[in-house]
Amino acid sequence: MAGPIAGLGYYEKSARTSFGVFSSVLKARFRIVSRYKGALLMELFMPIVFAALPILLGVSIASGGVDVGQNWKDTTGTADFKAYMLIGSSTFMVVMLMTWLVGFWLRREMVSGTLESVWVSPAKKYLIIGGVTGYALIRAFVAFVLSFVLGSFVFGINLFQGNMLMAAMFILVGLLPLWGISFMFGALILRIKEADSIINLLQWVLSFFMGVFFPITVLPGFLRLIAQSFPPTWMTNGVRAALLDVSFFFETWYLDLAMILVFAAVFPLMGYGIFIATERRMKKTQGMGMY
Amino acid sequence: MSAGGTIHRGFGLSDLGLRQTFYTFLSMSKKTVVEFSRYPVSFVATFAQTLMILAMFMLAAIVFMGSESGLSELAGIMVYGFILNMFLIFVLWEIGFSIREEQYRGTLESLYLSPANKFSNLISRVFAIGSWTVVMVIAALAIVNYYVGGLPANDVMLALFVLFFSITGILGIGFVVSAIVLRLKESAELLVSVLQFFFMIFCAMFFPFYALPDEILNYVSRWIPLSYGVDSFRSILVGQTPELIANVGIEIVIVVLFGILSPLIGYFLYKYNERKARLEGSLAEY
Repeated sequence: MAGPIAGLGYYEKSARTSFGVFSSVLKARFRIVSRYKGALLMELFMPIVFAALPILLGVSIASGGVDVGQNWKDTTGTADFKAYMLIGSSTFMVVMLMTWLVGFWLRREMVSGTLESVWVSPAKKYLIIGGVTGYALIRAFVAFVLSFVLGSFVFGINLFQGNMLMAAMFILVGLLPLWGISFMFGALILRIKEADSIINLLQWVLSFFMGVFFPITVLPGFLRLIAQSFPPTWMTNGVRAALLDVSFFFETWYLDLAMILVFAAVFPLMGYGIFIATERRMKKTQGMGMY
Repeated sequence: MSAGGTIHRGFGLSDLGLRQTFYTFLSMSKKTVVEFSRYPVSFVATFAQTLMILAMFMLAAIVFMGSESGLSELAGIMVYGFILNMFLIFVLWEIGFSIREEQYRGTLESLYLSPANKFSNLISRVFAIGSWTVVMVIAALAIVNYYVGGLPANDVMLALFVLFFSITGILGIGFVVSAIVLRLKESAELLVSVLQFFFMIFCAMFFPFYALPDEILNYVSRWIPLSYGVDSFRSILVGQTPELIANVGIEIVIVVLFGILSPLIGYFLYKYNERKARLEGSLAEY
């Protein structure tokens, strides 16, 4: 075993130990969540329930003699409003999980009084947070796929329409900027601690601007601009365009994907920068142990 | 202290009369109001969230309809159902889930050792959020009313009568949830979430009942008393024939019975579970 390093104890700084930190955090998170099977099940059904509400609204309007399919097609490009809603609510679930899981982890560590202990360990912070966000990333992707498949059966949606590979690519690339957003939510929790209601609100703001239940083209110009500055909006539209007859924002898939890649390059760096700046400030002013 | 200063066995100098019940309610309500006042951002966030949800459904409805004509009646159906949904959500979370919070904080057992009236204790949990919900409902109604150019509002007094008994009925559901929370502990959050969505869909709170498949309508929705509360409340205000039973009078009778019986049955179940938990010594366990 290597000798003690000043400030790091017996911690050996190598690729192996770095991966060890990352994988331990990841493993711990999955082990903990495996104890809450009900919560996992809920994750599968939530997007279906969310999608059911506007779908039933559409069905009720249709039974009044209105051609909702045509109306929906005129605005969005597709008459399949059920698939449109299900994709919207499934991607919303991805956003919710990515933002909340990181925030929830921080908050739980604060309340349990273990955050400070984690912070004073010689393990690199980005590896610990990387483990948590990696866990959120995997959980969100699996939740999306399973809830979409299950929802397709419930609503009688053709699962094999459109380009599924492209849709998966939009989701996977779209998760990267969300990774950055999750750091920002983490910083918010560090700063204001009891941030549940604000996070809830922000999640609804995101869902509003990413057009979960409606195309953002119905929004006024300035709101549409705000919506298009949110990476999840591009991810949702990309998945819809890949699977349904909805058009891409830039007309071609590669330009839309390129835009998400730009977000993917900027948001994680920006998010991590904000998180680290907040963390430093907390350490100087009140410490990490307060909650 | 009681009139004669009698010391009751197990109750000390506590007065078990109506006065004590009222003061327990008042003190506990004051405590929840103080607690809530410490989180002003939370109030604003809840209100903004409410408007966000409404806006999302309204925009979806506009795209479905292709134009804004006829939006007023549809908005009425959505918003009036949404009002009951808001009361339901807050009662479920505040009564049901606050018991869980007391367990978690370790104050539930201390509360039960005090001679304070348990009914007042339960009811007081919704006082603060109930009052805030009323404010939010009025504000949301005003905004939607302005946006759609006037919501239908036919017999407001009768609708308020139905709303009152629907809310007391919802309180009963809250008591039942609290009873189950005492037993379920950590799974309480999941139960409340599931119930919230169950009622949202099967009581057709955001859409007319005829959107539901016949099997669900006949074998689920019609068997939930709250469905009649939703149906009669909005059909009275919108001025249309109720969907579940064509005679609104019969629906109102069901709602009144629900409003009276549900809290009684719910409280009975709560007391039963509470006694069981006390006998087992599991009240403080979490």
